[in-house]
Order: sequence, then C-alpha cells, then structure tokens
Amino acid sequence: MNGKQPMVLVDRVHKFYQRGSERLDVLDGLTLEVREGEFVGLMGPSGSGKTTLLNLIAGLDKPSQGEVWVGGQRISSMSESQLARWRTAHLGFIFQFYHLLPVLSAYENVELPLLMLHLTASQRRQQVLTALELVGLADRLKHRPGQLSGGQQQRVGIARAIVTDPSLIVADEPTGDLDAKSAVEILDLLEELRKSLHKTIVLVTHDPRAAERADRLLHLDKGRLAGQQQPSPEGVPG
Amino acid sequence: MTFLLLIVKNLTRNKIRSVVTALSTMVLVFVCTLVWSILAFLDSVTAEQSQNLKAIVTERWQLPSQMPFAYASSLSEGAASDPDDVQPEDAMTWQFYGGSLDPKNRTRDNSLFAFGLEPDKLLTMMDELDELPPERKAELAAVVDKMRGNRQALIVGRNRLAAINKQVGERIKLFGLNYREIDLEFEIVGVFPEGRYDNAAAFDREYLLAALDAWPATHNGRPHPLAEKTLNLVWLRVPDMQAFTQVDQQIEESPLYASPSVKCETASSGRASFLEAYRDLIWGMRWLLGPAILVTLALVIANAISISVRERRTEFAVLKVLGFRSHHVLLLVLGEALLLGVTAGLLSAGLTYYFVNNVAGGIPFPIAFFQAFYIPLDALGWGAGIGVLTALLGSALPAWSARSVSVSDVFAKVA
Ligand SMILES: Nc1ncnc2c1ncn2[C@@H]1O[C@H](COP(=O)(O)OP(=O)(O)OP(=O)(O)O)[C@@H](O)[C@H]1O
Ligand SMILES: [Mg+2]
Repeated sequence: MNGKQPMVLVDRVHKFYQRGSERLDVLDGLTLEVREGEFVGLMGPSGSGKTTLLNLIAGLDKPSQGEVWVGGQRISSMSESQLARWRTAHLGFIFQFYHLLPVLSAYENVELPLLMLHLTASQRRQQVLTALELVGLADRLKHRPGQLSGGQQQRVGIARAIVTDPSLIVADEPTGDLDAKSAVEILDLLEELRKSLHKTIVLVTHDPRAAERADRLLHLDKGRLAGQQQPSPEGVPG
Repeated sequence: MTFLLLIVKNLTRNKIRSVVTALSTMVLVFVCTLVWSILAFLDSVTAEQSQNLKAIVTERWQLPSQMPFAYASSLSEGAASDPDDVQPEDAMTWQFYGGSLDPKNRTRDNSLFAFGLEPDKLLTMMDELDELPPERKAELAAVVDKMRGNRQALIVGRNRLAAINKQVGERIKLFGLNYREIDLEFEIVGVFPEGRYDNAAAFDREYLLAALDAWPATHNGRPHPLAEKTLNLVWLRVPDMQAFTQVDQQIEESPLYASPSVKCETASSGRASFLEAYRDLIWGMRWLLGPAILVTLALVIANAISISVRERRTEFAVLKVLGFRSHHVLLLVLGEALLLGVTAGLLSAGLTYYFVNNVAGGIPFPIAFFQAFYIPLDALGWGAGIGVLTALLGSALPAWSARSVSVSDVFAKVA
C-alpha cells in the first residue's frame, strides 16, 4: 500500500510475567509494523503470546521492555487513564466470546463506548444506528444478547468496536466460537470494514479461512515472529 | 443518564439477590427507626428548656411523692415570703386518684386514673394543652366551663372512654383504688383533645378534698389514712432558669416544708433523674443495638455486592477495554449499592413512619412514664442516611476490587 508512518509499531518488545519466583517470557524482543489500512493475520500455537501481543497493541497491558506506537502515539508510556481515553477514540476491540453486557439491549451495548465521549444524546443515537446498520442489525436494536444468535452477537460486538470510528481494530479469534456460516459472514464484514472504511485490522486466529483474508499473515512461536506469507514490499524485520 | 440506566439494569440482573438485600436493608432500617425514635424522644424530653420552664415540686425522699395538702397554697406561690422573693407566674397541684367501675372485679378496662386539679389549670399549665391551636383550645375551654359549676364533672381521654365503654354525658361511679373507701361519682362532661391525654382523666380537686373531709364523720372521727398525703405534685411556671434557681432556693430554705421535706426540679431534670433507672438500657440501645444494626447491614450489603462483583469481573474488564476508566467502574458498583440502599432505606422509613403513626398508633414501649412513641419525620432522613452510609461501607471494598480489575489478567484466563 503506501509508505507512510506505520499504524502500529511494536519495537523490540519483551514481555514476561512473574509467577512467584519463576519468570515466564512470553514475548521475546518482538518487532512488528502494521501499515495504515492493512489487514494483518496473526497465527500461532496456543500459549505463543498472541493475545499478549494484541493486548500490548490495544494498550491493555504494558511491555516489560521496548515500545509500542499506535497512530504516531507512544502508548507504552501512557498512564492508565490516558490509555482508557485513547482506546475509546482510537481502538476497537472484538472478542472471541463477544462479551456483550447481558442486561443491555443491542443498541445500549453499542452505545457504551460513546458514553465516554462528550456527545449529545442525538449524536450518540446517530452513531449507534450507523454502526448497527453497517453490521446489518438495524432491525435488532431492542434485542438483548440472549435473544441473538452467536453470529448476531458478534456483529453487535463489531458495531460496538467501530461505533467511535477508531482507526485500528483488533480482534482476538472473532470467529473462534462461531459455526462456519456465521464465521464467513463475520469475516466478510471485517473485510468490508477495511475496504470501505479503511480500518487497519489486526486479527488473531486459529482459523485458516480467517487467515486467508489477511493481506499478511504472521506466525508467532515462543514469543517470536517465525515467518511471513506474502511479505510486504518493504519487508518487516523479524 | 444512560449510566444511571446501566446501574438500574445491573440491579435487575439478579432480582432475587437485589430483593433480598433490599429487604434486609428495610428490616434493619425499620429496627433502627424504632430505636432512634425512642432515643430522639427521650433526648427531647430531657433536653433543658431555657425559657418558660415548669418547676416540679415533689416530696424529697419518697416515691411516690405524697405531701400534705397544707403545702399547696404556699408552694403555689413558690414559698415567697419576702416582697423581694420571686413568685411563679402560674402553678397547679396534682392529686392522683385511681378508681374502678367494679369494686370486686378490677380490670384494666374498667379502671380509671384521674388527676385531681383546679379545672382552670387544664388550659394554662398542662403540657401540650397549654399550646393548643385556638379552635381546639376553645373546645377544651367549653369543657372546663362545665367543670367549674359541677364538682362531679370528669374529663376523660378518648381511648380510656372507649375502654370503659362509656360516653360523654353518662354518669359513672368509681370505687377507690389508692384512696381506699373513697368512692366518687362522676358525670363525664367531655374528652381531652386527641394526643397526650388519650388515656388520662381529670376532675376538680375540691371533690376529692371534700370526700376526705367527710370521711371522719363516718369513721369514728378518725381521718382517712391518706388525708395528710394527698398532694402528689406541684407544678410552678417560671420565666427562666434564673427564676427557677431562685424559687428553688426559696422552697429549700423555707421552714414550712420540714416533714416531709420537698425538692424542686425542672421537668427535664425530673425526667432525667427518673430515666436514670433505665440508663443502661438506653445506653445499650444507643451504643450497642444501633451500631450493631449498622454493621450487620453493611456486611449484608458487602456480601451481596462482592458476590455480584466477583461474577462480573470479566464485564468490568470489557468496560475498561471500551475505555471506561477505573473511577467509572468504581462509580458503577458504588452507584448500585447506593441506589439499593437509599431506596430501601427511604421506603422502609416511610412505611414505618406511616404504619407506626397512622395505623398502629405509636410504638408501645412503656418506659418511665411514657406509654408510646411516635416516629418523627426526621426518620425519612435517617432511613436514607443509613442506606447511604451502609451502602458506602459495604460496597467500598468490592467497588475498589472491581475498579482494580486488570484487563490482561482477566483475559489471560478467558483466552
Ligand atoms: N496476565 C498474565 N499473567 C500471567 N501469565 C500470563 C498472563 N497473560 C498471559 N500469560 C501467559 O502467557 C502465555 C501466553 O499467553 P497468551 O494468552 O498470549 O497466549 P495465546 O497465544 O493467546 O494463546 P491462545 O491461542 O490459547 O489464546 C501463556 O503461557 C499465558 O499463561
Ligand atoms: Mg489468546
């Protein structure tokens, strides 16, 4: 695509967890660049650190060493509350198990991130409706998560992730809990987001069908990036 | 607004738990309201009034106080002997006469306890009756008028009247209980205004005095055993504490009250010394029962909230991913507890207020000379206050733990 400053830059990041006296090294000097508008797939065996990496990119956790930059901002040195604000505006997170609040309707679930922004009720309403229309659920506003299928719930999850119009969307096995047909629908939707809205997407998956959709596929193993299919023109260190 | 909605919706998530928590809050607020109503009332009656005091003169060493009626007139003047001495503004004497409608079979429902006094003093000296609104006062004055011309007139409280199953206009004969063989016939001429004297009765003291005077004639010239012990209390109205002190001193120094000797107290100090006997009980109510209820309630709320927080750790993590900051999560949990606590507390205090005062007619808790207690309007404030306080105490820890949920810890387990 183009050679502007990367959307995501993970720079020589180490991440370890201390468990009692034992140190568990999860990420080991990992470097990764994702360009704006790129759709990157991340695969790897269970426990290889995919979720850990995603959490670092999403500002949900801090690297033990190294830096994480997103959209030109060094998020690895932001405070908790700066990160929270940053996430609301710049990041959409899609979960494997949807994690919608069961007591809220689809509409209210999608509205949640907007509560953290200074918007009027009608502005919020406009954005929620737009997001739900985009995922094809304009007719399910009042349904609670329990009244929706897995695929529909995930679409609400996606609407919630894009409702603040973030530039980066990260998804942790978004199709992992879905049947084949719903999975395809979700992947179509993600691809659509990237194409028509130019979102940058980082997708963790075990699902080869999901991996197929990515511009670039990365393999994580024992905290390092192993190899890349369809290497990008510039090349990525690792 | 949507935030509040989220709080409300969270409460509906586990309805049984919310209802049980609300009910326990209501029960405990109910008990607290009763206890505090009694304490507040006792506090108010023992709090010293600084203006318009009533001094109470009683026998010094005996309970019940039984003074000779000869003391009445000089005590009513505050034992003033010198032109410089202070005279009370007003005074009244009390003589207690108990009688039963049936001489052989005395029950609670056929007996009556009446104050022998000067009828005029009903209007000027009796607590509450001296502060009636004009129309009620006029009604009472009409009854007092009837008493003036008729020694046998009796004014009765409405509850007592109902208990003995009589009506205004009827005549009754009472067989003396404390005044043995002094049987008095009365004509019921009216009822007390509703309130403090619903169970009392009053009549002209001259009637009792005359009966005592007539007694020797039919008993070989011997006086009635209580003839010299018929004056139970004297009340004196004084303008302020300084006048009270002076009158007290005049009575103290007077040679007239040697045997038996007398003492002078303010109404509140009199009540306070009477309440001394209940000091431990009142202390326990105030400092053990009250706090114990608050602690229990805080624990009940803490338990319910911490269970619900534990169940929702993932949800709080999700909210944080969506950009909710720690204090939003904290507020969410506190808000839930507060909303529940305040609603249940207000509701409970409101219901207690309504039912105790309007349906049950007071708390039947006879302590000292008080028969029943009423819930003050303040109770609504207490209810809400208890709700807020216990909700804050109970949810502080769970709310803090919700606030501190670490997203990466939660999802490390989920993923
Ligand atoms: N907060 C944490 N505390 C301690 N250890 C953690 C934490 N988060 C992750 N780990 C550990 O780090 C390692 C990598 O975990 P991670 O969740 O990133 O793997 P993953 O590649 O996403 O695996 P999966 O495919 O099963 O989701 C695991 O061994 C995990 O137990
Ligand atoms: Mg994972």
